[in-house]
Amino acid sequence: MYKLLLILKYLRRKLAPLFAASAVALCTAMVIIVISVMGGFLQMMRESAQRLTGQVTVSSDLWGFPHYEDLLDELKKVPQIDAATALIRAYGLINLYNNVITIEAVGIHPDSLNTVTGYRETLYWTSQHLLDDIEQSMPPAELRNQREQALYESRRQRFEQIDLRDLGMTFTPPVTRPNQQPQPGIVLGIEVNPYNRRGHDGQYDIATSSINSELTLTLIPMTQRGTVMEPSVRRMVVANEFKSGLYEIDANRVYAPFDLVQQMLRMDEATQVNPETGEPTGQMEPARTSEIMLRGKPGVPLDELRQAVSDTVDAFTAARPGLPYLRVQTWRDRHATLLGAVEKEKMLLTFLFAVISVVAIAMIGVIFYMIVLEKTRDIGVLRAVGASRGGVMSIFLGYGLAVGCIGAGVGLALAASVVYNINKIQDFLTQRFNFTMWDPTIYYFDKVPSQFDTTEVTVIVVVAILSSVLGALLPAYLAGRLNPVESLRYE
Amino acid sequence: MTDTATQQDTLLQATGLRKMYRMGGQSLEVIRGVDLSVTRGQWLAILGASGSGKSTLLHLLGGLDRPSQGSVVFDKQNIFAMRGPRLDRYRNRHVGFVFQFYHLLPELNVIENVLLAAMISRSVPAWAGARSQQRPRALKLLDRLGLSHRLNHRPAKLSGGERQRVAIARALINQPDVLLADEPTGNLDAQTGDQILEVLQEFHQAGQTIVMVTHDHRIAQAADRVITLRDGKLDPEQSEAS
Repeated sequence: MYKLLLILKYLRRKLAPLFAASAVALCTAMVIIVISVMGGFLQMMRESAQRLTGQVTVSSDLWGFPHYEDLLDELKKVPQIDAATALIRAYGLINLYNNVITIEAVGIHPDSLNTVTGYRETLYWTSQHLLDDIEQSMPPAELRNQREQALYESRRQRFEQIDLRDLGMTFTPPVTRPNQQPQPGIVLGIEVNPYNRRGHDGQYDIATSSINSELTLTLIPMTQRGTVMEPSVRRMVVANEFKSGLYEIDANRVYAPFDLVQQMLRMDEATQVNPETGEPTGQMEPARTSEIMLRGKPGVPLDELRQAVSDTVDAFTAARPGLPYLRVQTWRDRHATLLGAVEKEKMLLTFLFAVISVVAIAMIGVIFYMIVLEKTRDIGVLRAVGASRGGVMSIFLGYGLAVGCIGAGVGLALAASVVYNINKIQDFLTQRFNFTMWDPTIYYFDKVPSQFDTTEVTVIVVVAILSSVLGALLPAYLAGRLNPVESLRYE
Repeated sequence: MTDTATQQDTLLQATGLRKMYRMGGQSLEVIRGVDLSVTRGQWLAILGASGSGKSTLLHLLGGLDRPSQGSVVFDKQNIFAMRGPRLDRYRNRHVGFVFQFYHLLPELNVIENVLLAAMISRSVPAWAGARSQQRPRALKLLDRLGLSHRLNHRPAKLSGGERQRVAIARALINQPDVLLADEPTGNLDAQTGDQILEVLQEFHQAGQTIVMVTHDHRIAQAADRVITLRDGKLDPEQSEAS
């Protein structure tokens, strides 16, 4: 009972435990905040990666593989698979505002891609952007006459009827100019357009977007041997822009209608030509694609899904000799380099902060040793009135435990308040001190990501408490070993 | 009194006590073969000059320190043959220490300081049961010592005499067989010292065995028996028989 009484008294009466608890609190908060932000960053990267590639892909070389529609049908029968879509990847050029840019062109079926990856959500421009733009360029309060009022109303009504995401889904340009041949639409990665710039709020300005701009897309078809054929060039109009969340993708990729890309790359069904004579053989060559993207049913583990797809693909290729090698990969495999780098960064940071926390343990040890020195005479008194060595030791261990619990609790609360309000804190710092700790122009996410992982946080809190007890262990042992007579004489 | 009766009345029996310290590579013997017995109900004063070893002797009798040689028998058992927890229990239940500099715990108030010794051998649940008996006992002791109005004050707010009275209450809370007082008036003015002596006399008259260390002949006169320690040995010429 006296141990509990003394621990409570020591906690209330001394400044030293406040310092020790503060050290534990700061270390706990620091590690939780770092892990939460890095974890959030990693989670956003993972979500972006999944959004780009579905869960599992079946891919071939750039020449592609035939009978993909049959394979799609086979895959859709697999019980673990929820949705699948075919797409074509190729490399080419676009000429936008006289800027020639190398790009990765992806031919897609937007609706089926949307069922696999949530493609629609990546389309950046919405009708609200258009309406906001009118409000900015023609503020209703500043309209001077009825003509301006009428113009404002007509534009507003027109834009309210346009759903930019729908246009992106159907590759339809927002405005078809009079007397002009309708051009097919294209969707650009938001960083492909060199004039798009993110503001400090991480948002883009529709005024600099490439929506409704004309461009030329050049794709280079190739033979099965890999020799280059005559380039295909098409004029197209930008229907929308997309933002996946991965800069490398958004700066290089464009989406175009599957059939168009297939045609431009000469991967559509065609009469077979003798490669030596160049004469038609009279046989039909089946259409090809370069990739199939899949999403598993909810709750199906990724490895199980991959195995099911592999089995189906193996059976499919075994029945059709001559098919090129089809590679089955999960989204983790495809983005392993990028995600691995961030995971390593997270581990490295956690390790560094753990090292800093060791300093905190040493600090607690020093603080507790000073407390033991200060309490030396009290220890002698306690021994004189019958306290055992173990009893004295457990007072200081209990003291360390209490300091650890308080420190870890305060640290947890501090970390939670920072993590849950990190974007408000960032906004405050930016507005008040013009200090941006998380610059969206660098990190590519509009908001500071964070993820409060209960398991990780629990481990950190437990480790913090144990560290505090560990820090108190040696001083507590020394306290227990003190000679009572010498302690009573200590000055 | 017959030998058998004396043996039965003997509370503490020290035999051949020696205590040696190592200082700077040299041995320093502060207690050099002391034989001593304390009978139940006796007030024994150990008189001696500073450095004569009287405090060391008191610590040995209380089991606070271990001798280099010799024994202290309490209740037919050599206390130095006891293992740690039993010796701790001996100090807690059978001995009460009063020190010259009071040694109250500054974080605890008066009543908590007094109850500290009663709490030591009890766990939290055991204390929940014992508190109803121990607290009234502490209050009664403090009332007897004139400290009823100081229960919630911390030691820093008390005078020297009050602190020493709290220390006496703490030493007596477990109703020890012997009260070991190390210069209990040494840090007090003459008047306050006399008040403390009166308190000790009062408890002694109620049957409390007291072993008191002092360098002051006047204080020692209050005891039933006075022995003098000189250079770690009893001085037979200046030691009064009981």
